[in-house]
Amino acid sequence: MNERGNYNNGGLSMGRRDFLKAMLFISGAAVVLGMLRGLEYLMPPSIGISAFPRLLLVDENGNPIKASKLPVNAQPTIALFPYPLNNEPNFLLNLGNDSNQPVEAPPTTVVIPQNGIRYEFPGGVGPSKSIVAFSAICQHLGCTFPELTFYPPGYKTITELGPKDKVLHCSCHGSTYDPYLGGAVVTGPTVRPLPAVVLEWDPSTDELYAVKMVGPVIYGHPGYNNPTQDIVNNPLGDLQGGSPISGTSTTVTMHTNPAVTG
Amino acid sequence: MHMSGRRDFTDWIAELLHLKDVPFMGVPNYMFSIEYWLGGISAGALAWQVLTGLLLLFYYEPSNAYNSTMSIIHNVPFGSIILSSHLYGAYIMIFAVYMHGLYVMLKGGYKKPRGFQWVLGVLMFVLTLGVAFIGYSLTGDVLATDAVDVGRGLLTALGLQSLIPIIFGNGTELDLFSRLLAWHITIAAAILLLFLLHFYLAEENGLMPRLKDAEYRAPAVINKNSKDLPPWWPRNFIYMVALVFMTWGIIILIPSILALPNVYPSVPILFSPYPGPSPTSPQAAAVPAYPPWFFLFIYKMLDMPLGLKVDAVLSMILPVIILLIIPALDRSEKLHPLDRPVITALFLIGFVWLIELSVWSAIQPGVPVKPTWATLVLLPPLVIIVAGIYAIHRSWLRVRDKALNGSTKITEGKTWVMSKSTASILSYITGILAIIIIGLSFILNPLSDGPYIGVLWGSALLLLSASILNYFYVSYM
Repeated sequence: MNERGNYNNGGLSMGRRDFLKAMLFISGAAVVLGMLRGLEYLMPPSIGISAFPRLLLVDENGNPIKASKLPVNAQPTIALFPYPLNNEPNFLLNLGNDSNQPVEAPPTTVVIPQNGIRYEFPGGVGPSKSIVAFSAICQHLGCTFPELTFYPPGYKTITELGPKDKVLHCSCHGSTYDPYLGGAVVTGPTVRPLPAVVLEWDPSTDELYAVKMVGPVIYGHPGYNNPTQDIVNNPLGDLQGGSPISGTSTTVTMHTNPAVTG
Repeated sequence: MHMSGRRDFTDWIAELLHLKDVPFMGVPNYMFSIEYWLGGISAGALAWQVLTGLLLLFYYEPSNAYNSTMSIIHNVPFGSIILSSHLYGAYIMIFAVYMHGLYVMLKGGYKKPRGFQWVLGVLMFVLTLGVAFIGYSLTGDVLATDAVDVGRGLLTALGLQSLIPIIFGNGTELDLFSRLLAWHITIAAAILLLFLLHFYLAEENGLMPRLKDAEYRAPAVINKNSKDLPPWWPRNFIYMVALVFMTWGIIILIPSILALPNVYPSVPILFSPYPGPSPTSPQAAAVPAYPPWFFLFIYKMLDMPLGLKVDAVLSMILPVIILLIIPALDRSEKLHPLDRPVITALFLIGFVWLIELSVWSAIQPGVPVKPTWATLVLLPPLVIIVAGIYAIHRSWLRVRDKALNGSTKITEGKTWVMSKSTASILSYITGILAIIIIGLSFILNPLSDGPYIGVLWGSALLLLSASILNYFYVSYM
């Protein structure tokens, strides 16, 4: 204590010393805060694409999928393909009636329960206008296939509105969507419909193309929880936050449908 | 070497490492009981996590998350033990952290001078749950895939979507698992640093004595420099080693039993010692979308009909804030639980709701909750506990002085005391059994007999711990 006192005596007065101390704290805080922006290092360089690609749907051997050969009602297997990025899986469904005959999915207006905004679902494609494609990631909390899956006619799942078939239902938290009506919400907790892939069918070759998306941004991609009118008509957020699909085709893979096998 | 006085091996070690000069606090005899060592058990589990975590780093590949994880189980000698004990090490650590925190809360240990120690503890609790979340996501199994997706949604619901790329990467699998691994290690390192600070503060603040010894008043501190206090070395050291071995024994034994070929098929997924199926395999569909058991209460809260944001705040943010401000909420000097009715009621409600929501979630995973059900489950305990604590507190005030100051004589409840010779025989037996069992483990194949070796290792560690505890009792009690 004495020694310190001696130093002090030879040095600055009390008031000046306090001033200097405050100055050091301010300087220290400024340097630390100024360098905190270095944390931006943690933000990964973003990847993605700038426009929706037009991709031919092919099977695992690279042969184009024939629309008229696509199994009806996802039986026995359910088809999935990534679009527009690699981490954005979608169901490819050939919708049918109770006797497994393809039925047309007509163009329809889909309402977003979250904010009441509407958008046009263009309807099914293919020879029976029965082929549709929806994101396989639930809009509620992002559970994906196999938790979210299609329940064909006759295979009912328990929903908030009782047992239901012909729906896309997520077992994580119970959200239900209607693939016959553009992926509209049937039961919560989801407050947003499933985004739809806009498909094109070439009648001369019977081949299918994925050309763009409509509806909310795919779950987990920028802006997915804020579906404004501009976004649902052209959900560009789908193009960010994943690696691009290389080439001009996207691969459809067939999976056992847990709704059928139990 | 001195002519007089034996100087054995342990003395030599103690001198070599200056163990007699270690500045840690010795403790009174009554503290050699497990409830005073819950923090130590948490730290012991943390040590096991660091050890096995580093070993797993030798084989885990972020570019091949699921397959490399399964390969550790099937293709690496002792890999099944290392991986499953890393999982159960996390479970035991979380369990011990809960017990430690609940005990401290009940005893008023968050009061002066330990307020900041408590805050550090709450932060470590949150980080522990966070590192566990990332840890089980690293396996890349079907539950991990859902966990990561749900994590994205929860961040968005809380308005923190800008953190998504920072935590989960740019959207590619490789970036996801590379980042999860980096975060897993980073958070583990943060826990380790905070633990050192927490432990340093515990030593510097001085340990908390029995409430009675502190006359039920904060600040309750054992004077570190008291001459009556026996030194840290060797008593605390020996007891600590015994408890650490016990913790490690349990950490290895439980998952090894669950992994035995006869047991494994009937283990519920919540307690499976190994990762679940790959998200792309057909079996994935048969797995209910469970989070790990320690997040079940959040899962059920997210089913509440209040909207995702409110559900997330109520289950994840609010409890942490309440825990953090407990030292500020209760600044009185009273330490007896009945003199702190608000905190005691909070403790009971939190505990009961935690158990209720977890069990409910396990029974009905992901079933949306109707308001009447939520009321029926959550309201009765609230009413009963608040009314009950209020009534008990009222009658407590009438008898308080008598109860706390009446008879100062502590009645020794234990009438049966093991004789020293019995304890020393037990020490020999358990020690020799430990040697035999560890010897037996050498006849087994480390690749194909992992679970059996794990059972032997776990048993050997528990026997060793028993042997040390008996020795401790014989020599120092």
